Amino acid sequence: MQGNTACAEGAIAAGCRFFGGYPITPSTEVAEHMALRLPKTGGVFIQMEDEIAGIASVIGASWTGKKAMTATSGPGFSLMMENIGYAVMTETPCVIVNIQRGGPSTGQPTMSAQGDMLQCRFGSHGDYSVIALCPASVQEMFDLTVDAFNLAERFRVPVFLMADEIIGHMRERLIIPDSVVSGQRVPLEQGALPFRAGEDLVPGFPTFGMGYGVHVTGLTHDERGYPCATSPKLHEDLVKRLVSKIEGARDSIASYDMVNPEAETVFVSYGAPSRSVQQVLHDHPGDGIGHLRLKMVWPFAESLLSRFKNAETFIVPEQNLGQISREIERHVDGDVIPVPKLGGDLHTPDDLYRVLAEVR
Amino acid sequence: MSEEEWLRQDRLPHIFCAGCGNGTVINCTLSAVEQIGWKKQDTVFVSGIGCSSRAPGYIAADSLHTTHGRALAFATGIKLANPALNVVVFTGDGDLAAIGGNHFIHACRRNIDITVVCMNNMIYGMTGGQGSPTTPAGGLSTTTPYGSEEPAFDLCVLASAAGANYVARWTSYHVRELTRAILTGLETPGFSFIESLVQCPTNYGRRNRFKQVTDQIEYFRSHTILVEKAGRMKEKGEEVPAGMILSGEFVRRNRPALGVRQ
Amino acid sequence: MRLQIDEHRCKGCNLCTLVCPYRIFKPGKQANRRGVVIPELDRPERCANCRLRNLYGRTLCGTCQMICPDQAISWVEEDAHVPKKVAIEY
Ligand SMILES: Cc1ncc(C[n+]2csc(CCOP(=O)(O)OP(=O)(O)O)c2C)c(N)n1
Ligand code: SF4
Ligand code: SF4
Ligand code: SF4
Ligand SMILES: [Mg+2]
Repeated sequence: MQGNTACAEGAIAAGCRFFGGYPITPSTEVAEHMALRLPKTGGVFIQMEDEIAGIASVIGASWTGKKAMTATSGPGFSLMMENIGYAVMTETPCVIVNIQRGGPSTGQPTMSAQGDMLQCRFGSHGDYSVIALCPASVQEMFDLTVDAFNLAERFRVPVFLMADEIIGHMRERLIIPDSVVSGQRVPLEQGALPFRAGEDLVPGFPTFGMGYGVHVTGLTHDERGYPCATSPKLHEDLVKRLVSKIEGARDSIASYDMVNPEAETVFVSYGAPSRSVQQVLHDHPGDGIGHLRLKMVWPFAESLLSRFKNAETFIVPEQNLGQISREIERHVDGDVIPVPKLGGDLHTPDDLYRVLAEVR
Repeated sequence: MSEEEWLRQDRLPHIFCAGCGNGTVINCTLSAVEQIGWKKQDTVFVSGIGCSSRAPGYIAADSLHTTHGRALAFATGIKLANPALNVVVFTGDGDLAAIGGNHFIHACRRNIDITVVCMNNMIYGMTGGQGSPTTPAGGLSTTTPYGSEEPAFDLCVLASAAGANYVARWTSYHVRELTRAILTGLETPGFSFIESLVQCPTNYGRRNRFKQVTDQIEYFRSHTILVEKAGRMKEKGEEVPAGMILSGEFVRRNRPALGVRQ
Repeated sequence: MRLQIDEHRCKGCNLCTLVCPYRIFKPGKQANRRGVVIPELDRPERCANCRLRNLYGRTLCGTCQMICPDQAISWVEEDAHVPKKVAIEY
């Protein structure tokens, strides 16, 4: 099965019952498969007039209690930014799939890239935190989509599936389990303040139509949900809670593969370039090469890096000019060597082995 | 229940300036909602950004105050995901026709079963009085200091052409007619669009010959003409005097609609 | 019933003075503590609601209430008549 189709199947398995989006290469197959499948599962598919409307409809649907998703790529992702911030501020669970292609602008519609990794973290205005997952196989397009929904429900936050064209269009064997763990947002206790959070910093969800009479706004709001946009303290407390509920959980929700934690030289990768790293490790067994493959890139669990106690060098192959290698530099004392690759082709195992040889 | 019970008492008085027509349109909408007998629990109010879009914040039902121009796209998601909900959208002329223009025509085309109440004050109220797509030619605003040189949108003609099932226009002077039009909109399956011209004394009136709040209301009273009458005049070859506001029903029809409760 | 303007809500726009067929609302003359000039009521008992609202169980006319942008106009029950003991001294 194709990666994009696996993503759509994962969404449906996770209980997604609403898709609103706008076609764009190389993500379109996600929408097309949802259009085929959702009506047969009691769900709703709608092709909106643009990506701004796509994400808006998803947020609206989510407030009725439905698990909802959209899928896009570069230009559409840029259009979604304002409403992504709205979803963060209003704590709306939703899943946004970005099958990354070459940018900037219309760039390379059919070629793979990982150039939106910082945009998904910082692209909307203001301070905030989100969750981003990066699949490296067709199976993970399914599995991580399921995870994305569960995390969105649990943290009431937009969760991104930051795939790339290579994984989205790759065909591999997919095993669809009979059932998947499907988390549900915790309902708000009747009578409780709608935006007052407990210890986990995530307030209960007041689904529309259940008699809560909740006011939801993107303005800075108090625990009643009422706009209160001029109190410095209230704003600071709200933004800090929105950030802490994600960042405070980064170690407990971290998702990764770790190979050879004793290694001195360690590859760090996510998405398609992980395949090349895996090939290097496969071709050079017993070579003592370490590998950290991040399935969750945001929030960035820096503690994983320190688990490589002997690491002197981190090599970071990415299909961009070094977006996550910069993040790694912030956290480690050793050398960080970005291996950027633009244009759509993947790093070959030889490319990576050559860098390794130079470093050693 | 009474209209008063639809209001969030703990948030009144509201932020609108003295004499702002938005408050009147809220009254008319709540009266219509009350008359049709909808329950708070089943009713959702959605809006974009602007003074007019603050309206849902004063209503004690579920409400989504969204981003500038996008209310209709959010509302489409709500209505399709749960057609059992009654969805009413409050919007302004800038919110609906400028930044949200594309969502507007597509919501009309889809004929999605929601009711849209547009408070058209012919200006960007919230941001301090810039020109909008409905600022009349010659109208003064902070961004048209020499008078607007662009032709204005006729929102009702636009909604009619794009496929809405019900389209009407009144003003904040015509509280009864406006209430009745909104009620008809709520009752009509499919997309209902009710435009209410409203006074913005602070940012429009002041700059455009309406010194007192009451002046613009007087103008609304004396410068409206029923669509039908204007039509008959045109048939007879008479001219409808310039500056007249065409009011009444523009369209009432039964095109196939989306998101209607089964 | 008694017609009243909620002083905390009224912003003094005078729209009510424009629409009442009995001209019950007259532009006020003096600003209150919040600087709002609240309209004065001229023989408000002339409003049909004062006599008949309870009888009909709904608001009659009601134009002033509808146009008031600040939800400031309402009819409230008259205070129950409390007979006072008056000592009359001859
Ligand atoms: C994306 C975006 N652009 C601009 C603004 C600034 N803005 C806020 S309200 C507004 C205009 C509102 O005009 P209208 O919809 O007519 O509402 P009114 O205040 O007149 O009722 C603008 C431009 C914004 N909030 N978001
Ligand atoms: S600026 Fe205009 S539209 Fe906004 S509240 Fe004041 S009068 Fe109303
Ligand atoms: S219409 Fe309402 S706000 Fe305006 S003066 Fe009359 S009572 Fe006051
Ligand atoms: S209800 Fe009618 S008659 Fe009575 S005060 Fe209001 S406008 Fe006047
Ligand atoms: Mg306006």
